[in-house]
Amino acid sequence: MTALKGLAGKILRVNLNNGTIIKEPTPQEVFASYIGARGVGAYLLLKELRPATDPLGPDNKLIFLTGPLEGTLAPGANKITVTFRSPLTGTYSFSLCGGHLAPELKFAGYDGIIIEGRAPHPVYLWIDGDQAMLRDASHLWGKLTHATEDAIRSELKDQSIKVACIGPAGEKQSRFACIQSDYHREFGRGGAGAVMGSKNLKAIAVRGTSGVEVADPEALASLAEKTYEILGSNLKARARRKYGTPEMIDGTNALGYWGTRNFSTGYFEEAEKINAASMEENIFVGHMSCYACPIACGKVSHIKDGPYAGTYIEGPEFESIGLLGANCGVADLAALVKAVEICDVYGLDTMSAGAVVSLAMECYERGILTRKDTDGIDLRFGNGEALVAILQKVAQREGLLDLLAEGSRIAAEKLGVPELAMQVKGQELPTYEPRGIKGMGLTYAISPRGAHHMIAPTMGAEAAGDGGRRLEYRGKAALVREMQLLMAVVDSLALCSSMRFALGLKEQLELYRAVTGLALDEAAARLKAERIVNLERLFNLREGFDRKDDRLPPRMLKEPMPSGPSQGQVVELEPMLDEYYDLMGWDRQGRPTKEKLAQLGLEHVWQEVS
Amino acid sequence: MSATNVLVVYPEKCVGCRLCEQWCSFKHEGQVNPCKARIRVVRVHSKYVNIPVTCMQCAKSPCIAACREGALSKSPETGAILVNEETCIGCRRCIRACPYGAIGIDKDKRVVLICDLCQGNPQCVAHCREGAIQYVPLAVADRGQRDAYVEVAAAEIQGGIR
Repeated sequence: MTALKGLAGKILRVNLNNGTIIKEPTPQEVFASYIGARGVGAYLLLKELRPATDPLGPDNKLIFLTGPLEGTLAPGANKITVTFRSPLTGTYSFSLCGGHLAPELKFAGYDGIIIEGRAPHPVYLWIDGDQAMLRDASHLWGKLTHATEDAIRSELKDQSIKVACIGPAGEKQSRFACIQSDYHREFGRGGAGAVMGSKNLKAIAVRGTSGVEVADPEALASLAEKTYEILGSNLKARARRKYGTPEMIDGTNALGYWGTRNFSTGYFEEAEKINAASMEENIFVGHMSCYACPIACGKVSHIKDGPYAGTYIEGPEFESIGLLGANCGVADLAALVKAVEICDVYGLDTMSAGAVVSLAMECYERGILTRKDTDGIDLRFGNGEALVAILQKVAQREGLLDLLAEGSRIAAEKLGVPELAMQVKGQELPTYEPRGIKGMGLTYAISPRGAHHMIAPTMGAEAAGDGGRRLEYRGKAALVREMQLLMAVVDSLALCSSMRFALGLKEQLELYRAVTGLALDEAAARLKAERIVNLERLFNLREGFDRKDDRLPPRMLKEPMPSGPSQGQVVELEPMLDEYYDLMGWDRQGRPTKEKLAQLGLEHVWQEVS
Repeated sequence: MSATNVLVVYPEKCVGCRLCEQWCSFKHEGQVNPCKARIRVVRVHSKYVNIPVTCMQCAKSPCIAACREGALSKSPETGAILVNEETCIGCRRCIRACPYGAIGIDKDKRVVLICDLCQGNPQCVAHCREGAIQYVPLAVADRGQRDAYVEVAAAEIQGGIR
């Protein structure tokens, strides 16, 4: 087929076992079928990974992919995915990172990087345009993420080089270790950092010096200008600009679906101390943008006094504040900024980190853990100092609570209280409390990578108007399915999800046509999205996942929400699951039927890999 | 358009989105390519700042003085530095002479890249959403510096003259 414009044309395949690096032509037909990034990653992982691959063994892969739009004028096109089998869940997983890494890879001439094997000693990958090489990283092993980025830019003598790296948490294979980039952007969820650590790969550094050609530059320019204009006046985009993602705190808490104290309830009484207005007044000192973004939602925070004086971060994001803050009962902004900093420099996912601490706090309050277990830390809900202290230990895997680095599911099992781990398939719940917003409960349950809000972010539609619809469970399956398909397109184009304020599916496809030259109508795009979602499902099916794993923690199903505006609610998961599977054309065990696979043209893929 | 207008950058307002780089290279090369942009934004991660770097239209241009080939001249209309691609030999002496490091090199044509002010309608300015780069008359350029000082001084003596 004719080459798609917008693609760089090459993919790097790096085998760490023997150090070979091969440049492969980008599989144009795969990109045409699955758009890019998430979609292409789902296909390649299913094809290339053998069943039952050990997530932390040399046979697991890290498949980094950009989309067709990266490195062009397309607004908010700055994401790169990494696709892998997750050590946290055992499922298919992918994670998206913003910042400036994705366009740089395109400028270097690559659409993606496939990492295989395990290096005999610590190395980092240095991609300097045409030249790609592995360099010794012994001197970087043990370094924090920021120090690693600084050291690499110094030794390569160029401050504009983009770096993705792991911190000590990834090296020590904490199951929720992330890969960090640009100081405070990350491939956050699912433990990609642990996989990278298991491969002895400390970092990837990239420098590109070429441009990206598009099919219709004039049309693209005019679409970009139009998008800037819409975002300039869109209220949601303006709030996002002023406050970052924490603009969502007030609405979430006011409707009683903000996960609080290990999801014991959905309403945090002290929210005002840590909401967006409080952040703006007390800690925000500047703005920071990812590449090509007309919003710039990143906020720079600075702690001026107290025990954490001098701390700077980009953040905290809404999810970080939710899981480290409300979910640990902590209303101390300075402690939360410090907690985010610890996660970012050691390379931990802030969300899972908050959730394992909230688990430990609940265990401590119930007497399951004692001061002896916590090395003297008074791990009560609401104790910000304790949050900071315990995170330091978790990040370094030291002390008796080393087991927390294994994630909440394993930790809770070892503590004899599996029901207290707020997780699905091993991945900790995001901050939206499902009892207070039922569609999100279904989203968490059916997500192919364990609980994840961005698989089908239904909260906006559910909370619209007076918010009453959020407590309905009927009709949520259709909403979840619709959002899931739309997000499969957004993530495969590798657009930032905030661009949805201005760009619906139709506009996204206009961008796609202007960049690639390939016209896609909405029906065709939805079909591609459905194929992507089914590929993800098939990967998990091959590993034995089905309805029995599409679960929520028992607390969500059996214990009525004790307080707040969603008081008395539980999640009616079973009827939602039935409806969802029916709509997806899956059987009631959640398995894609033969007919569905035939309709999607995926029978041959499934036959080849199963 | 006036020969007296110059670019002024305000690094403290820059968020590092690099839309300026994008539109600069798009305008000049028809595609996005940061290495061919006449403006570059460098993020200093450890300080949480972004510094836009481009030609400041020096009055006594060190780049012109450094060029032995007579390849650089000043546009009489805009005051922008013009590169004669026929005579530029790509020696990069001007790059070293520039006090801002604002000059780049085109790796394909092997000639230097200097801001040409887009014939009086600089696209970086047109697309900066932060007001971090502006195109203003020389006579009032950098008044922000004075304003910044005045703000500090005013805060110190707030309450009026004693």
